[in-house]
Amino acid sequence: MQLSDRITGAVLVSLGAAAAWGGSRLPPVPGQDVGPAAFPLAIGFGLVACGVLIALGIGRGFEAPQEEGPTHSWLSSLRVLVPPLLLFFYALASEALGFLLTAAVMVFVAAIALGARPGSAAILALSTPPLVHLAFYKLLSVPLPAGLLPAPW
Amino acid sequence: MTTTTRRTLLGTGAALAATPAIAQARWPVRPVQLLCPWAAGGGTDAVLRIIASLLQRDLGQPFNVINRTGGSGVVGHAAIAAAAPDGYTLGMITAEICMLHWQGLTELTFRNYTPLGLMNNDPPGIQVNNTSPYQNVRALADAIKASRPGQFKASGTGQGGIWHLALAGWLGAMGLRADHVRWVPSNGAAPAMQDLAAGGLDFTTNSVPEARAIIEAGRARSLAVMAPERLSAFPNIPTLKEAMDVDYSTGAWRGVAGPLNMPPAVVSTMDAALKRVFDSTDYKDFLNNRGFGLVYADAAGFGRHLAAADASLGDAMKAAGLARS
Amino acid sequence: MDDLLEAFRLVAATDVLIAIFASAIYGLVVGSLPGLSATMAIALLVPVTFWLSPIAAIATIITASAMAIFSGDLPGALLRIPGTPASAAYTDEAYAMTRKGQAEVALGAGLWFSAIGGIVGTLSLMLLAPMLAEMALSFSTYEYFWLALLGLMCATLVARSSPIKAIASMLLGLLVACVGMENPAGTPRFTFGIPDLLGGIEPIPALVGVFAVSEVVGALASAEPPKLPKRVFGSILAGQWLLTKKYQWQMWRGNFVGIIIGILPGAGADMAAWVSYAMSKKFSKEPEKFGTGHPEGLVEAGASNNASLASGWVPSLLFGIPGDTITAIAIGVLYMKGLNPGPTLFTERASSMYALYIIFILANIIMIPLGLIMIRMASTVLRAPRNLVMPVILLLCAVGAFATGANLFSVMLVAVFGMLGFVMERNGFPVAALVLGIVMGNMLEQNFVASLIKSDSDILPFFERPVSSVLAALTIAALLWPLGVWIFNRLSRSRSTTQPITGGTKP
Repeated sequence: MQLSDRITGAVLVSLGAAAAWGGSRLPPVPGQDVGPAAFPLAIGFGLVACGVLIALGIGRGFEAPQEEGPTHSWLSSLRVLVPPLLLFFYALASEALGFLLTAAVMVFVAAIALGARPGSAAILALSTPPLVHLAFYKLLSVPLPAGLLPAPW
Repeated sequence: MTTTTRRTLLGTGAALAATPAIAQARWPVRPVQLLCPWAAGGGTDAVLRIIASLLQRDLGQPFNVINRTGGSGVVGHAAIAAAAPDGYTLGMITAEICMLHWQGLTELTFRNYTPLGLMNNDPPGIQVNNTSPYQNVRALADAIKASRPGQFKASGTGQGGIWHLALAGWLGAMGLRADHVRWVPSNGAAPAMQDLAAGGLDFTTNSVPEARAIIEAGRARSLAVMAPERLSAFPNIPTLKEAMDVDYSTGAWRGVAGPLNMPPAVVSTMDAALKRVFDSTDYKDFLNNRGFGLVYADAAGFGRHLAAADASLGDAMKAAGLARS
Repeated sequence: MDDLLEAFRLVAATDVLIAIFASAIYGLVVGSLPGLSATMAIALLVPVTFWLSPIAAIATIITASAMAIFSGDLPGALLRIPGTPASAAYTDEAYAMTRKGQAEVALGAGLWFSAIGGIVGTLSLMLLAPMLAEMALSFSTYEYFWLALLGLMCATLVARSSPIKAIASMLLGLLVACVGMENPAGTPRFTFGIPDLLGGIEPIPALVGVFAVSEVVGALASAEPPKLPKRVFGSILAGQWLLTKKYQWQMWRGNFVGIIIGILPGAGADMAAWVSYAMSKKFSKEPEKFGTGHPEGLVEAGASNNASLASGWVPSLLFGIPGDTITAIAIGVLYMKGLNPGPTLFTERASSMYALYIIFILANIIMIPLGLIMIRMASTVLRAPRNLVMPVILLLCAVGAFATGANLFSVMLVAVFGMLGFVMERNGFPVAALVLGIVMGNMLEQNFVASLIKSDSDILPFFERPVSSVLAALTIAALLWPLGVWIFNRLSRSRSTTQPITGGTKP
């Protein structure tokens, strides 16, 4: 996902402006002359300045040349969303489905997305969640949810 | 229907009807979760863990402490209030529950809980650097009254924290404006005590156990505690009332509570069990070693305490300009 | 003398020795698993310590933290996923060495100099504690402010790519640190009505996200890199002696800086690693090699962060003032076990104090053999197919984020930072600077505002106190140095028009 410096610079400028604006709306606090708005404002301005400089290409001379990877089709580029989506899935589903099921799904999908053979992915998905559960639930008393498939221990 | 079948049916029906009562009478029959809204290793966590281990010994089932941190205590407190009211998820609630809603940060108030027992209360102390010219709290108070607003600098916790409110309440009890002394926010008591020792502050209002190590190192001394009685672990420190005849007290307290609508049998069992925990030598030794205040109230007393604390903390927050609602 | 003998006897107790050994393995393993961190490892130990005897309880904390800080270097070097924010300072360097086929040198350096740093730090604790404590107590908010600013400047000094992008990353990190209620004003900022954000964004989920998850994402986006040639790891330690002789000066400088930064509560191993790495590059004779796989920076920073770990116990033991999250937990455990921090620990319970010192030294010594085993085992990870390792890492990220606060929101944060980290890396924005901003943001703002309140909004006191003025001078110098160099370069280039103009300066 390589974007041109103009785009990243523009993103920074808008982020900085949003931060400064959001910060400026914070009410001052009695007894403190430097209120909660100060830092977001300062950071916002800094980001705007950096964004402008980057969009203008200043400082690019220091950069190491980026290695160009093979260009992908749009669909396969969507694969990069798989890990964050799987994490969201964990956050939303683990209470309902239970740890073992959610983890198995996560591992399986991630392995397939990375190109593993379905067989190896399945073995991984069946073996790692119980081990992780054992370590965290039994050893470290982390309250992993039981859900639909509670662990036998 | 034959007589035996009818009797069996009646018997089974009676047994089924009695099961909830039996289950409650035998509560707990499986492990109980105790939620802690604060981080592992901290003061609240430590107190809850000792309570948990003593409850386990007393009631025969595991009591597991689970830290549910986040949102400056909101997440954990919300989790306790939202738990199933079957008596198997309880937690420790702290003074913050009476402060957060005044700031508009949550809808939760103490009314969302079934109080089970107040187990500890740490009153604020007033600490000065060991090179400070004030030998007692009356001298300090006189100097504050004579100073111009904002001249004196105090700290102990963050803006709007319990010790900040303590300062505001103390100033109010002396007839001064809540911001007559400038509050310097800090990330907790430890940095404030360090700044005090480094000469950056005039005094702090955090609790004495939080200041203990620096006091024992001879870099600070505690002039008074804002409590109705002297602390058992620090009997040499006078109360505000004794030292300058100002009757103001408050504190960072901790108690065990559960969600609303818990079965009465569970509530009374916990009530009695917590009293036994409080009276045990293990608990007393543990708290005394830490210097935490040994203050107890049973379920009903805790309820009254919560209402009173909510009102007085709300007043202090309004006076300090921190209340939003 | 009796106390010392008593101390040896205390440590030699079976339960203590078992505790040390078990927690060493625990610390090594947890610290080296991507998605988990040293802080998390220690937090999860607290329930266990409840059932242990006092010395055993503290032994577990000391040993586990020392091991975890070292083993955080392992995934950093092998997978570019640092185990702790401290390792993040030199992860890129270590990974570059692995890509050059010199993984064992990088890891060996991490191990060897960490052990040395830990032992030197412990010696400073033993011999200089009172003096160092005096220093720590003389630091007020003004000094801390300049120190925080100096630490942040390091992000720009070590930037391999555009320094402007490094500054932008750092500012982004500072912005992330603004989220929440934990600011001097106690006002919720940028929480968008989400209660979970009231407490702010913890550095660990962010670290795990931008490094670990973004690596997983990166694995999805690119083809598998060529398998590294199967090398038999040579003796890992043999090369270290040579490195020690070559970079002696750097090692001692790293130890010194680490000790000083460590004793200052709030400035912990993370900062020590960054400052030392930056110093190493600034004062090196071969600065252009930094970032290409050069051990010099690893020597200095590795020594520094372990030294700071040991010296960080000075304010903890003497005043109960935690240096960082780990020592905060440790202080809690000390209290729980009746070993109250403070002078009484040194006077009435001197034998316990000596026992703690012995455990420190013991932990750093056994780090070496256990670390070697760990390194050899971890190297098999390099040879495992990526598509099987990454899913497990992803799972560990989820569980690790959940584990510390039993909070599912953290898992979502990790996901968000994962995407952010991936986009940033692809566009030349160093994520390590982002993490530094998140770690240091609160310290900077807190001390800035507190100082302004104390000085009644006057700027002058920021420069008046002696230590403040020194730190201020250093910070301003660090700020102006690159600017000065750039101006100097431009002037000298325009003066010599016959010589070809070199566009980029670093390879």
